[in-house]
Amino acid sequence: MKYEIPIGPLHPALKEPIMIKCTIEGERIVDVDVIASQNHRGVEWIGMNRNNPVQSIYLAERICGICNFCHPSCLVIAVEEITGIEVPERAQYIRVIQGELERIHSHLLWAGVAAHELGFDSLLHYVWMVREKVMDILELVNGNRVTKSIIMYGGVRRDIKDEHIPKLRKMVEYYREGFNKIAKLFLEDKTIKMRTRNIGILTKEDAMKLATAGPTTRASGVKKDVRQDMPYYAYPDFEVRAVTPDILTGETVGDTYDRIVVRLLEVKQSLEIIEKALDEMPSGDILSEPKIIKIINQVKKSEGEAIGRHEAPRGEDIHYVKLKEGFEYLYAWKVRAPTYINILSWRPMLLDMQIADIPIVAASIDPCLSCTNRVTIVKNGKEKIITGDELHKLSIQKTRRLLR
Amino acid sequence: MTGEILLKTVLGGALITLFAIFFGLIFKGIDRKIVARMQMRVGPPIRQPFLDVIKLMNKETVVPENAIKWIYHASAIVCLASSAIILLYIPIAGIEPLLHGHGDIILIIYIFIISALAMVVGGFSSSSPFATVGAQREMITMASYEFPLAVVIIAIAWKLSEEIGGDVFSVYHIAQNPLWNSVGLLGFIGLLILLFAIVVVTPGELAKIPFDVAEAETEIAQGLLVEYSGRNLAMFYIADGVRTFAMASLITALFFPYNISPLLKNYISLGDFAIVTDFLFFLLKVFLIILFSVTLVRAGMARLRITQVVTTYWITITLIALFGLVLLMWDNQLDIPLPWVG
Amino acid sequence: MLPMLSQLLKQMMKKPFTNLFPAKYAPKNVRGYLKNVQEGKTKIIPPVGIPDEETFRGKIVYDREKCIGCKMCIRVCPAKAIEFKEEEKKIRIYIGRCIFCSQCNDVCPVDALHMSNEFLLADANKASENLIVE
Repeated sequence: MKYEIPIGPLHPALKEPIMIKCTIEGERIVDVDVIASQNHRGVEWIGMNRNNPVQSIYLAERICGICNFCHPSCLVIAVEEITGIEVPERAQYIRVIQGELERIHSHLLWAGVAAHELGFDSLLHYVWMVREKVMDILELVNGNRVTKSIIMYGGVRRDIKDEHIPKLRKMVEYYREGFNKIAKLFLEDKTIKMRTRNIGILTKEDAMKLATAGPTTRASGVKKDVRQDMPYYAYPDFEVRAVTPDILTGETVGDTYDRIVVRLLEVKQSLEIIEKALDEMPSGDILSEPKIIKIINQVKKSEGEAIGRHEAPRGEDIHYVKLKEGFEYLYAWKVRAPTYINILSWRPMLLDMQIADIPIVAASIDPCLSCTNRVTIVKNGKEKIITGDELHKLSIQKTRRLLR
Repeated sequence: MTGEILLKTVLGGALITLFAIFFGLIFKGIDRKIVARMQMRVGPPIRQPFLDVIKLMNKETVVPENAIKWIYHASAIVCLASSAIILLYIPIAGIEPLLHGHGDIILIIYIFIISALAMVVGGFSSSSPFATVGAQREMITMASYEFPLAVVIIAIAWKLSEEIGGDVFSVYHIAQNPLWNSVGLLGFIGLLILLFAIVVVTPGELAKIPFDVAEAETEIAQGLLVEYSGRNLAMFYIADGVRTFAMASLITALFFPYNISPLLKNYISLGDFAIVTDFLFFLLKVFLIILFSVTLVRAGMARLRITQVVTTYWITITLIALFGLVLLMWDNQLDIPLPWVG
Repeated sequence: MLPMLSQLLKQMMKKPFTNLFPAKYAPKNVRGYLKNVQEGKTKIIPPVGIPDEETFRGKIVYDREKCIGCKMCIRVCPAKAIEFKEEEKKIRIYIGRCIFCSQCNDVCPVDALHMSNEFLLADANKASENLIVE
């Protein structure tokens, strides 16, 4: 007997506005359909119609709360390429450190979520307790726990001060010591191994065909990393190599376990990069043009198009930007977040698996969907989709009713 | 005369039900607090389960449109009632249980099944795909943990019939004649193995991680209970606490029926307080069993898939329990004395 | 095989990691609790210490005297939280809209805007005095 179960948009495993419709036979998944929403938050529209480029940095920061450095970073790379704004070397190093701090906190956050999806809440609490350290450092350096607000056309807004450096080094040491423990808790646990080994396999072929990005593709053995293929910022100095699971386990299967391995190894890699960056950071300016109004005017005067690429924790993030002379806003702005291409790999991963594997496999690509879904009302077996306009009308009606 | 028995049964039954609910919820609170401390959280206060129940009682009871209403409501009551009557058969602190007789240990296992079945029926009747998956899983889990549990109980009863005889399938009889006193070395090891088997069966019986496949929160959104709310959910919530307490009491009666008052009498005279100390000691034993078979296990493991639950119980745990049974049999033939008993 | 078990037993004996702000258990009545705190009847458990007073981005402090009314902060504010008062040539900042990016601090030519380290800004009314700086 076949039947369908819907995972999402309201489901404890996937608190994101996307729906995985699974056709089930007993406990086995025979068909998977991913229904992505088509509604738009209008972020790009605001960037093209309302905000000047400086305001758009903070808008890009709010595309995603967790990767709030990669989105503005992509935008800034693209605009800097068009306008030819120079970036001082020290600022490049600080940007690298920020990017890697973000990777550490994002991967640790993911590790906790993955443990929760497996029903292993103790591990979730342990990992998030360890993660507090990097959050404290982010707060120390940036002035806020989550939103960094640090990047600016032509550099960064805040310097890493001398008195911060010992604390950063201490953090690196803390994680280096803690790494073995986390790796042991995750990789040697029998129950986790039972739940993730050979589950949700994405073959190298499929990974190439679907053009997946980030840890998802690297766990399948594809050595793809923007920091390696097209180094930006100060990354050429670090010679980053794409991390594949065979470094630790000796083989590449492409399953959920491998994706855990890759993310843990990337935390270690980030620690090395931060340490090296702290050692080699040159002194000097952090902003080539401190007068922001001048930057706005320079962007207004430029014309051209460019693509900004950044290796976000979830994969390659791309922003396409076009500027037109005399046009105050961005003339065109297209954001492509890494999850957008990674969700397609759910189908090959989930086929022939069990219902129990849906949460962990879905979580294993670290989905982060920053968009809104329309409302679907199901009554007496009929589906009715309410669009944004209708919803607006309904809420006006409700307000009128309440006012009366 | 019959009136007196009736009065005793009714009054005693009501008292024991209240007692079971009270201690079931208390132990649930302690369990949550300890898990929180293990995870380095503060955790809820120990009275939290009572507050939860009061809150659920005040909430609206929603019935899904396509549910079969009378079954949907009845299964909650059946689940709570069947969990509560288990304690009528289990000796608490060495006191003779209210109801007992020939073969009541088999009856206890059946009552455990009834309360689980009530949940299954409730799940099916609520007409949600998640609840249906949960109900199927619960039935499979039930079928898989009963086998090792039966092996453990039969092993104990058989050994008892060999050593002492009498009404071996009565819990009270088993509790009065602890097997540890009458076995040799092999039997001692065999009993330890059986204890391990029943401790592993406990989380399955009570639907706790790693065997909580039927309720898996992140997979099928509480499964069986997904549609339940308000008073019905409160009843399932209480039933869960009562089942935990009953299962731990059963393990206490089977494996640790000792009382502390005979030991203490050598040092101080207790008088009428003997029964109180015994009762406190009983609560301590129940607490330790819950700590090691539920709390620690549920905090320290990931949830298994349903297929892995079945293989764990049918192959691993059943083989372990059978090995314990074989050791008990060898004990009769070889009769190696315990090294620490002269 | 199960490395978490020993870790759990170790952690059980330690003090909880949670910062118990503002009280160990959530008070039944928050307003009543805060009133008690103000009257000195109960003591509030402090939040995590502010790590760096210079870099921390909290509620904006506005130096009215220094302000020359150049409107540059209004131009860069991403959240449109700043309003210009035409008759006085001064600004008004709605903290309810502020996203604490401190971009206005950077752009101000006369250094009239600063970030303080005050961050407990919750209020029931978004137009209350606490949430408007002028």
